This record gives sequence, C-alpha cells and structure tokens, in this order.
Amino acid sequence: MHIVDGALATPVLIAGAAATAGGLAIGLRQLTTERIPTAGVLSAGFFVASLIHVPIGISSVHLIMNGIAGLILGWTAFPALFIGLLLQAVTFGFGGITVLGVNAVNIALPAVLAGVICRSFIRKGGRNNVLIWGSICGALAIALTTIMVSVSLALSGEEFNEAAYLVFVSHIPVMVIEGALTAAAAWLIMQVKPELFGLSQMKDV
Amino acid sequence: MRYLLLSALLLSASPAMAHKIIADLFPAGDAVEGEIGFSSGDMAVDARVEIYDISGNKLGETRTDEDGFFAWTPEGTLPAGPLKFISDLGAGHVAEMVLPAEDLPGGSLPATPGAVELNLDTTSAAPVNADALADVVAAAVRNELRPIRRELVQIRERNRFSTILGGIGLIFGLFGAFFYFSASRQLKDAEK
Repeated sequence: MHIVDGALATPVLIAGAAATAGGLAIGLRQLTTERIPTAGVLSAGFFVASLIHVPIGISSVHLIMNGIAGLILGWTAFPALFIGLLLQAVTFGFGGITVLGVNAVNIALPAVLAGVICRSFIRKGGRNNVLIWGSICGALAIALTTIMVSVSLALSGEEFNEAAYLVFVSHIPVMVIEGALTAAAAWLIMQVKPELFGLSQMKDV
Repeated sequence: MRYLLLSALLLSASPAMAHKIIADLFPAGDAVEGEIGFSSGDMAVDARVEIYDISGNKLGETRTDEDGFFAWTPEGTLPAGPLKFISDLGAGHVAEMVLPAEDLPGGSLPATPGAVELNLDTTSAAPVNADALADVVAAAVRNELRPIRRELVQIRERNRFSTILGGIGLIFGLFGAFFYFSASRQLKDAEK
C-alpha cells in the first residue's frame, strides 16, 4: 500500500504533496484541544497497524486502519495519518520521503470520505445499524485507497487495469478484517463513549 | 467475542516484517550477481531486471530465478562509470541498485583473488594453473558466502521492537506537545 520512492512520476508527486498540504491545513484547523489526544492514539495505532501482516498465498499485505481514523477524526485524520506515515518512512523505510505526499493523500482522503459518509448513519445508533455501517466504513476506506494507489501508478505509466486488479484483489482480506475491526470499534465507542462521535458532529464541516 | 477476535489478531501479528524491497548486488568475476526480495522474506520471482549505464542507455536485461537471484554477464565493453540495475516489481515496488564503477566486472580488477599470492606446492607432480585455481577458489568462496550475505541483509532490515516502541513514543510525545500548546493557549484565553 505504501508506494516507494522512485516508482512515481514527478507531476504525480507534486500533485500528491499539494493535496496533502491542503488536507493538513483543513485538518490542523479542526484539531481542537479536546481532539488532540484522540488523534495521537489513532496516529500511533495506524503506525503500528502496518506491521500486522495478513498472509495471502505467497505474498502478504498489512493492515492500514484508516477507516476507523476517518470515522472518529474526520478531517483531523489527515495530520494524524500523515505523522504516522512520516515515522513509518523514517523508522521502517515504508514508502519514502519524496512519496510521502502521495501516500498521505492516498490513505487519508479515503479515510475522511468513508468517515464522513458512515458517521452520520452510525450516529443514529441501533446495534445492527452501527455494526453494518462500521464495517462498510472500514472496508470502503481500504477500497478507495487501493483505487487511489492504482490511479497514482497509472498516472506514472503503469497499466491501470493490471495494477488496479492486483492491488484491489490482494487487499480483499484486509477489507474484511478492517471491516470487522471498525464495526467492533464503532459498536464499542457507541456503548462506552458516544461523545467521540457526538464531538465530531459539532465540528463537522 | 469481539475481544477474542481482536486479541487473536494482535497475537498473530508479526512485527518483524515489512513490505520493503531488499536488493543487493555483488560482482562475481565476469558477471554481476544480485538478489531482489521483500523484507517479509519473500523473494521476487521471475522479475525483469534492466541494466542501464550512467547516462540512461540500456545495456541489457535479465530475469530473477525462483529464489530472487539473478546474474548478468555484460557483452562487449562496458562504459566507464557506475551501472544502474532497475527492476519494477509492480504495484509501486521498484528496486533500484547501483554498481559502483570500481566494482565493474571484467577488466583489471585488483580486488579479485587473482591478485592473491598463492603458495602452491611446487614439488607436486602435476603443474597447477594458478589462474584457474584462483577462479575456482573465488567461485567456491562466493557460494559459501551467499547464505551469510542473505542473512546479514535480513538482520539489517529487521524492525526491532525498540524501534517500534520508539516510534509510538515519538507520536505520543508529538501529540503531547500539541496538547500542551493548545491547552496553554486555551487557559490564557480563559484568564482574559
């Protein structure tokens, strides 16, 4: 899921960096004092999630956990995921510094979209409702990310269909797992700390 | 049930792996050998490796075998300067390796074992060709070193637990600093 240095064309890198700068600006403006601790925890969770590997066939993919971040944080997910990605690039060599902008927008924008779409449904409550929209949020964020990764590769000259197929299919297990995790997390939050979603409601764009 | 799922997932985590490309080059007599794989331990099977010179001209190409291993023997004379080995593994994974000019195959290689003084037993009946012997020894040493070299690369790429904890600590520290500034600004506003 992390594109490495040298795989993308320069215009794509610049566009990605610009989009990330925009997302960061919006996210930081919404980063209120109350939200900072939540953003920190989700950023750390995202940082570690990439180390959890799901073996598929001879290869393996890792968890991303951007859906849950978008669900709880909204646009604030942008800075949270950006910091996680930056540290992943520095400490583990996942991705790279020059592709950081592209990777950040590929991961954070789907998180924000999936979060915005699903949050209003989850807020209505009801066990089945929360579980269904929670799993949709988790899976949708991954699906959108695979599409954005494929588009980035396609714009850099790789065959779109082939790349998209490969990335999408290999991430189906991740979508299933993250759907389940996000649903569980959403249900738990609705039970013990519904303010996490209510708080986001007041700060909605 | 939910907790069960979560804990099962956490337990199955293998923090030592990452989707990072590991590629290595080593001169081997007349040829250049190399290895491409992922830090998860998977090797790049049947991947195309293209060789370019410093100014971007393509010199040739080869493919990796089922162990991610490849060998390339240059034809004709090589240009001066370093060589670049590039392999596109798809889905955003590109391996790029540079062979420094002094490691170029063929030509005068002072580092090859040919330069080593061989203390051959001159009293032995059959005369031994020192050059041929040096080649054999060099090949044998290369073969013996290959697994060690591979292991070294893997150790170098392993994510240590302390690195992970350090990363988490950095994130918490960073957000703690955010929180500090944000909270102190709010307190100041409240005092007014």
